[in-house]
Amino acid sequence: MDVVNQLQRQFIDYSASLHREGFLDDQFTQLQKLQDDNSPDFVVEVASLFFEDCEKLINNMARALEQQQGVDFRQVDASVHQLKGSSSSIGAMRVKDVCVAFRSFCEAQNREGCLRCLQQVTHEYSLLKNKLQTLFRLQQQILAAGGSIPVVE
Amino acid sequence: MELMKSENIVQDRQPQPQEEEEIMQQEEEEEQRFHVLAVDDSVIDRKLLEKLLKASSYQVTCVESGEKALEYLGLLHHSSPASSSSQHHHQETQGHKVNLIMTDFSMPGTSGYDLLKRIKGSSWKDVPVVVMSSENVPSRISMCLEGGAEEFMLKPLQLSDLHKIQAHLLKSLPHS
Repeated sequence: MDVVNQLQRQFIDYSASLHREGFLDDQFTQLQKLQDDNSPDFVVEVASLFFEDCEKLINNMARALEQQQGVDFRQVDASVHQLKGSSSSIGAMRVKDVCVAFRSFCEAQNREGCLRCLQQVTHEYSLLKNKLQTLFRLQQQILAAGGSIPVVE
Repeated sequence: MELMKSENIVQDRQPQPQEEEEIMQQEEEEEQRFHVLAVDDSVIDRKLLEKLLKASSYQVTCVESGEKALEYLGLLHHSSPASSSSQHHHQETQGHKVNLIMTDFSMPGTSGYDLLKRIKGSSWKDVPVVVMSSENVPSRISMCLEGGAEEFMLKPLQLSDLHKIQAHLLKSLPHS
């Protein structure tokens, strides 16, 4: 039982740090609360959908910004808007915040600003992906050791 | 509840009277639950909405576009409202009633607002429509409410938002 307690403490601490550092906000906690016996992998499933969506949208933005003949900023903005929505729905606060800035640059038709935001959003997305994978791994370890996932407020 | 034994081939087997009763009971229970049609082009938001609604014991059908929603409601090829013969007939499509429609506002093609107007101009006009958006734009909110939306909700939705929806569903029950 000591192993389980240790893992649970690690999970709680890690979760708290992700919130403290702004990677996750309350919406992520809401998702965790929705997970139940009927859908024990709900959060992992939503996260996977989010990562897939992120990659697709980032690629769209990159392609649109690469256009030498003239960037279609509305197209870039459409992708950023979608990413902003998804990140908000999952509680990916830092990704969402970059999207807010990104949209301003789209509106201003500022290619340099957009490229910088694209870099930032790509960076935040990879960071978050790594951290969530770590969190999910901890969860798996707790379950494998016979413990239950603590509910973190 | 064991409806079918594993060694039997489903399609060739006639249900026994007791099982028939169980099947009917299950279908009746499903009929009694509120059925929500959820429309959103975001796969993540669809998954989230479906979970929220199922967690509140609603039956859910998710579609990914305004066009798909119109198709589901049988409105895709009609340019004018169908003449009303009986209320029950028009509240059903594909054998399923629809008690509530929840739609995202910003969707490519047929927007949530377009969908709202089409619904309110059809035989489905008495079904409450809730419009959702990630953006808090007052003019957008009043436009939707004036267009006949029962409620406008900000995304991301939470379980507490579902309580408001319950009130609308109870209001819309047919008077018998």
